[in-house]
Amino acid sequence: MLASWRHTTSKQLFRRTACSPRYLATTSQIYVSKSHDPYFNLSVEDWLFRHADPEIPLLFLYRDTPCVVIGRNQNPWKEVNHTALRQAAIPFIRRRSGGGTVYHDLGNTNYSIHTSRLSFDRLTTGHLIRDALKSVDIPAYLNERNDICVDNFKIFVLTDCLALHVSGSAYKIVNKRSYHHGTMLIDSDLDSLRGVLRNTKDTMTTKGVASVRSPVRNLIEWKRSFSHDEFCKAVIEAFREHYQCHDRVEYVEERSSIAHTSYVQNGMTELRTWDWLYGQTPEFTHILQHSFDFGPVEATIHSRHGLILSCTLKTRDSSWEEDGMRDQRYAFLPPIRDIDGADDWDRQRRDIWEWLRVEMDR
Amino acid sequence: MFTGRLCRAAALSRARISSRPVALPFVRSAYRSIVTTRYTTDHESVVFDTETGVGTISITDYAQSSLGDVVFVELPNVGTTVNQGDQIGAIESVKAASDIYAPVSGIVEEINKELDDKPGLLNKVDDEKGWLCKVKLSNPSEVEGLLTADAYKAHCESEGSS
Repeated sequence: MLASWRHTTSKQLFRRTACSPRYLATTSQIYVSKSHDPYFNLSVEDWLFRHADPEIPLLFLYRDTPCVVIGRNQNPWKEVNHTALRQAAIPFIRRRSGGGTVYHDLGNTNYSIHTSRLSFDRLTTGHLIRDALKSVDIPAYLNERNDICVDNFKIFVLTDCLALHVSGSAYKIVNKRSYHHGTMLIDSDLDSLRGVLRNTKDTMTTKGVASVRSPVRNLIEWKRSFSHDEFCKAVIEAFREHYQCHDRVEYVEERSSIAHTSYVQNGMTELRTWDWLYGQTPEFTHILQHSFDFGPVEATIHSRHGLILSCTLKTRDSSWEEDGMRDQRYAFLPPIRDIDGADDWDRQRRDIWEWLRVEMDR
Repeated sequence: MFTGRLCRAAALSRARISSRPVALPFVRSAYRSIVTTRYTTDHESVVFDTETGVGTISITDYAQSSLGDVVFVELPNVGTTVNQGDQIGAIESVKAASDIYAPVSGIVEEINKELDDKPGLLNKVDDEKGWLCKVKLSNPSEVEGLLTADAYKAHCESEGSS
């Protein structure tokens, strides 16, 4: 257990990479990405986590073009409003670490602080970020749960603190490392954030990890001129002071050597696959109701790993299992074609199929 | 007197306390049944009963204490055929998201349904309710290839200190 890649193909990829020599050592303790590609940045973050010297603290700062990032064991249909996502033309991404859903855009800055597990401490990282903000006159403080707040509002969302404390021998490089990862709201599009995270599937009950919703605000409400660059500068200063580090900042971009490692390339490819995005979804049940001209219908869909296990349909006077849905990918039903000589029953089933096809993908 | 079931439960709860030696083999009066506990470097344990041919898979005490409060456990379906080393499930705690790999090959006979609603059972060291699944072994000799309690303890110590 205790590695963050899950299914066989990726596990093989990962093992191969993990066992190969460390052909690219990190050259600094401070990395800032110039890329805004979320697939790239998430994969570089993962690469740094697994390849940098575990004994040396490391800081990575980046921001992404708009996207929704869900936790490793979350249900994308429960967390994300897919209609709003399509309208905004932004993707959702399942990251490799646990925790809840966050929204990324160029108005928020992600940071991760990697330390050896012996020095891993959520409070230390919280203090570091708080001190960085105070150094630019933002009155930040930590609340009782160690969230970073200003005037009772969270301005920072801790997505996860991943600590691979224990792991198999193949993962020797990573098992002493832990990281703390968060996203700082500077000038984020909060309306878009609320739109894409507004859940409409109240009748879906899902296993897995649910997100905790908190009231949030942007830092520019307290400091109008605040920017990504200013935040990075303040965090880098605080990090240097805290860890007595004098390294120059290493900028990462898509042309950098890190980007061409097979680890990063394979990681970026895998993040876009159906297997990873949808196929990792925990089990869930979705109950839907609709009134057709032939009467009300209730559908109960049971799904696991993104596949429909069963779909039971109930009308006023009958109940049946729609066999054609079994093993179909949830929210990826093919449209149904009209058949010659279809009777009323065929037409009703077609209407129900079309209704569910649209509803699942909302 | 212990019943067989209780004996296995006792062996299992001992298995989750890595610092204590595990009593094996265990001999019952009517017939010989050997209950063996072995560990993996990935911090899973298997309690294998030669009488039934079934291995009960758990995560070790070291793993659960390192992970902290477990918030989600995903398990394989009953009837699934698994090979040693296959990913069979996932655990997410307040600290980390992790995979569960099959320490032995076989067919999943039973899963711990209680974990659906109470994933925190994995953190209850002395509670025999914290197992993950039971596998009917297709190749029992695999058990012998896993770590003994002493070897596992040494493995944890080397991970902890290095």
